[in-house]
Amino acid sequence: MTIAGDRIEHEMVIAAPPELVFAFFTDAELYTRWMGREATLDPRPGGVYRCVVHDTATVVGEYVVVDPPRRVEFTWGFDGGAAVPPGSSTVAVTLTPVPEGTLLRLVHTGLPHPALAGHDTGWTGYLAQLAGAAADG
Amino acid sequence: MDAQLRALAAPRRRQILELVRDRELAAGEIAAHFDVTRPAISQHLAVLREAGLVAERRSGTRRLYRADSAALAGLKQFVDRFWATGLERLKDRAEAEAAYRARPAG
Repeated sequence: MTIAGDRIEHEMVIAAPPELVFAFFTDAELYTRWMGREATLDPRPGGVYRCVVHDTATVVGEYVVVDPPRRVEFTWGFDGGAAVPPGSSTVAVTLTPVPEGTLLRLVHTGLPHPALAGHDTGWTGYLAQLAGAAADG
Repeated sequence: MDAQLRALAAPRRRQILELVRDRELAAGEIAAHFDVTRPAISQHLAVLREAGLVAERRSGTRRLYRADSAALAGLKQFVDRFWATGLERLKDRAEAEAAYRARPAG
């Protein structure tokens, strides 16, 4: 895991084939096994997805790239969140087959800098949402 | 981290933090930026200090405040945990599903 500027990057190896891991980003039933409790997904470029993470946090975005089973990219933001509104940041997921299964690489760009400038009203809600989401994990 | 989130939950405290992000200021100088009482500012500074978001230094009779950049970087890490925990869950569930699908028939 590295954090540089507004980027967050993660890499992990998953003992499952890329086709299956990919489906966890595009199939609502699989999606809600790891993210949120309710999701509607329209996995095609320009298609909108919406995921209720918990009571006060709903993630909304659009798929940008849907290239199974290698790459899925989508915008990321919180419905009603001033700090990270829908469309303000982008998540790119790349899946590479490896002998153990799948190497997943996730890069999240466009997040607000923690220096708080210009995000006066948004931070409260955003941080609360994240706190709740992290606690769910 | 909870104390930091609670400290940041007040807009005024975020404004104070922004003021002292790149420079050290005395409590009076900070108060001059806001239309609230000096004790109210002192109270906000105490919360920020206890949360570790600002450092306090005495210079003669003055108390000087400055944002703790390491603490702010810590908040970025907190954002990062959203994905860290989510992806750990994804790994668990995907591996469980892969094992389920690979089970012998019958």
